[in-house]
Amino acid sequence: MRDDPIAMVLDDLLKLDDILACMVARHNMISVMPSGDGFKPEVHDVWDIIHRAMNDVFNVIGQYSGAGLGEMEFRLQDYEVLFYIFPDTENALVAIIPALANKGLLEVEMENARREILKIMNNSEREKLVATV
Amino acid sequence: MIEPKFEASVGMSRKWDAREAGREVARNTIEKLNRPPDFFLLFSTIHYEKHGGFQEFLNGVWDVLPKGTPLIGGTAVGFLNNYGCYTRGTSALAVSYTDMDVAIGYGKNTKRNPKKAATQSTENINKNFKNTKFKNKFVLNLISGPELIRIPGQGYKKIVDSGIISKFVVQAFGVSQYLFQKGIGREDEVFEEIIDKLPSCNMVMSTSIDDNKGIRNYQFFNESILTNSVVNLGLSLNLDIGVCTTHGMKETDTKFNITKLNRNKHIILEINNRPAVPELYKILNWPNNFLNEETMHYRILYYPISLRRHGRDVPIVMPAILKDYIVTPCIIDKGEVKILTISGRDLIYAIQNNLKSFGNIQPEFGLCSTCSTIMQTMGNKIYVIKEKMMEYFKEKPFLMFFCAGEGTYSPTQDYTYANMSYNTAIFGQ
Repeated sequence: MRDDPIAMVLDDLLKLDDILACMVARHNMISVMPSGDGFKPEVHDVWDIIHRAMNDVFNVIGQYSGAGLGEMEFRLQDYEVLFYIFPDTENALVAIIPALANKGLLEVEMENARREILKIMNNSEREKLVATV
Repeated sequence: MIEPKFEASVGMSRKWDAREAGREVARNTIEKLNRPPDFFLLFSTIHYEKHGGFQEFLNGVWDVLPKGTPLIGGTAVGFLNNYGCYTRGTSALAVSYTDMDVAIGYGKNTKRNPKKAATQSTENINKNFKNTKFKNKFVLNLISGPELIRIPGQGYKKIVDSGIISKFVVQAFGVSQYLFQKGIGREDEVFEEIIDKLPSCNMVMSTSIDDNKGIRNYQFFNESILTNSVVNLGLSLNLDIGVCTTHGMKETDTKFNITKLNRNKHIILEINNRPAVPELYKILNWPNNFLNEETMHYRILYYPISLRRHGRDVPIVMPAILKDYIVTPCIIDKGEVKILTISGRDLIYAIQNNLKSFGNIQPEFGLCSTCSTIMQTMGNKIYVIKEKMMEYFKEKPFLMFFCAGEGTYSPTQDYTYANMSYNTAIFGQ
């Protein structure tokens, strides 16, 4: 996990004060987590319910990602969960933020993280293809 | 005759460690230049305060930057350049040009005595440009932005619900600014005075701020980190210069009268002869509690007000509410004002119209002081603005920095001060 470039992107995102947790996930599966301490402590108490709600959202993402669904979000108690979907996949970059956070500014860095992760994914796909050829 | 040589470059760093980020932004900005830079303009988000501190950040820059290079800059909510849009990190723009004189200056205590600070900051520029042989002059002003007053027992608040505390804050407003240099930035007053001292210069004005919390901000001047200061970059050069302010705000039919202001003309006490906030709610048909600490982040952005100052329109976003009173970011006059409206699409048109206004200049580089509320409103769609900038600048370097109070001045077009606006300076042929 430590050398995973996607985990390093998540590590950067998690360093922002208002990102309480982040991951690359799909329905019923967290694919990549940050390499360090993982989630910030304030999320632990609500993680179970957020996780269940996330899975329901991934059902929607699975159905509409191919149609161009780009972002989703929901608010639960004092938290907001942002989903930045990787185009044409069932995977999304997910972040949990406080409901009072300045979301507009965080969205800019969520977008940068999504772009970086997409680049990493595309590069590794390309490498696989080269290896196959 | 030796051909004049012009080069400009923009660089950036996303490193977390202050010193490393300082080194990297300096290195990757100046490595694209063939001559040493004649000035270095530096912006950073507030994050380095907690990751080594701003002195270390500047030390890192000076590890790489040739000694004696004029440097100014400050903290910003974020920045947009040829590489992308960011709310964390640092970006710089450097220019080397044989046909250019550069002078920098600073003034202290902008919130206590804006006129004196402005005068101090222009002295060196006035002196250096007295015998300049180049045809066009430009000054970039970076002024310390607003800092919220910490309310005992409540912390930093954009909405104060308590009537007693609100009345106290209204009374203490001027005293707090004088003694503690807390409160609104008074950048409009600094700007007006700088224009008065340097009337032949084109100008772009910007304010330094943190991550829009309005708690602290810093200005950079050569090796020093300053607070509550104005720093100026003056250029006299043989490139053509254009400056322009645009905003996408549209007037609605909703009008009202500001009938009472506080002593400093910074707080609206009464609208239509009634307490300001309840009257505003009634006029706009807002339900109770429509604005609260949470919704101030976004709802307020879509209801700007066009205030008036010296007969000019001053479109602003309400920065804070004190129970029945509305704080404004600048000095305003009483009288009839209008509610404006704005959309994401209007913000895109506004930057397109701004860049279109420079039709006769082929850009070599550009600067744009932009309101942080635009970044806040657009969120990740700010990349649409970046595309518009790239279409205009192509491979030429540009740097847009996001602040809290901005404006432009040109000897031919007078001056503007606004919120939620784009304030561009284009340098070219």
